[in-house]
Amino acid sequence: MLGKVRHAVADAAETLRRLFADPVVHEAAAEGFHAMPRVFPPLAGVAHPGLEALAVEAQAMPLVNEALRIHELAPFQARLQAEEGWARWGTEATVLTMTPLRSAGAAGVPVPPLPRRAGSRGYREPIRAPQVRGALEPLGEARTRRLVPALEAGPARPGMEAMRALPVPIPAVDIQRLPKGLWMRYSLQMVRSTGENVRNLEVLGLFHLPRKGVVDLRHDARRGRILVRLGAEAAASPRTPFILVRRRSDGALLSCYLEEA
Amino acid sequence: MADPIKLAYFMAVKEGASYLGGMMVTDTSGIPLDFRYTEPITPTRLQTILYGKSLEPHLKEEVIQKTLLKELKTAPDLLILGATELAGGWSGEVRFPVLAVQKTQEQPLARLGDVFRAGPRDLLLQVSEGAAPLRVMFAASVDAAAQEQAAQKLLEAGYHMDLTEPLERVGAALQSLVIKEG
Repeated sequence: MLGKVRHAVADAAETLRRLFADPVVHEAAAEGFHAMPRVFPPLAGVAHPGLEALAVEAQAMPLVNEALRIHELAPFQARLQAEEGWARWGTEATVLTMTPLRSAGAAGVPVPPLPRRAGSRGYREPIRAPQVRGALEPLGEARTRRLVPALEAGPARPGMEAMRALPVPIPAVDIQRLPKGLWMRYSLQMVRSTGENVRNLEVLGLFHLPRKGVVDLRHDARRGRILVRLGAEAAASPRTPFILVRRRSDGALLSCYLEEA
Repeated sequence: MADPIKLAYFMAVKEGASYLGGMMVTDTSGIPLDFRYTEPITPTRLQTILYGKSLEPHLKEEVIQKTLLKELKTAPDLLILGATELAGGWSGEVRFPVLAVQKTQEQPLARLGDVFRAGPRDLLLQVSEGAAPLRVMFAASVDAAAQEQAAQKLLEAGYHMDLTEPLERVGAALQSLVIKEG
């Protein structure tokens, strides 16, 4: 019986001793964190057929300075706490009721969320303007064809034969404008050549015709002219006065060349 | 004695798609001394496109007319065209006075041989007694002095011939040649 009491007292003493004993202080020097440098493999460029392969430039990522910092843990500082319980021990007994641990009483420790993605550090390469490479085949020179658009006439043809087939109109000379003496001489020649009385002759006109080369002759009374067709020798033949008269007795046309004065 | 006056009458016509021209030189009686004509020139489709509106003037002034003048035996004193062609702005031959002669309905001038200036390039000539005067239009290349000289030659020739008729003869000859060769 005495032994049980002794054990109970010893347990109570131990309990009280542990309850009011100073916590055990351990000094520990925490090791610093070491950041392991990592070398990133260079990006591999894939050359597409038909395009110029991209030039790949390997660049070492600079280490983040902040990552290398070593934070040393501050050592725990022991502090003496004064407890008034010892003073009150001798005067009053305080029944300590240990509150059972309850789950509701646990303080929640907020867990910081993990970052959704890793932040990138370093600096950005400035965007370089892409180099333009000419990849087109040069166009071949166009062949030129020469086509002369000049219009040319062939050699001119002589056409006097065609022209001689057309009648040439010869207007009559205005007799009123002739000198009177000249007209008297022409009248005399006319009478002599035709053998007719001058009163039986009606003058239709006085014309200047080639002496030779007159092939055909027609009188255009309405317009007071004659239409002649000429031969080849007419052009070189001298022009000579030619008188055309009508015989009043029968209306026949008479004509003769007149001698120049 | 002065050389007899020679007048050259030029006409170019279009027959179908072809062009041909003729030139006749006459004396002052209208009697032909020389007549030349060109073979029909048919422009290709490409030439027609390339020349455009200048095709016909170019053919008449630069091709046909110059070819004919080059082939003439004697140089004319005056080159006479149709009034329509001259009014279109003739830019061809400049060695001789180039002109056109037209009949008018104007009142006769006072005397035979009178010349009336109707414009910088237009003259009226009284070539026959009592008839309406003839209108003479000169190309831009003919100055006033050359116009006066040409007018005197026309008066001299007009006393013996109808100055407008030979051009009709050139046209008729060309038509007959086209029919003959066609």
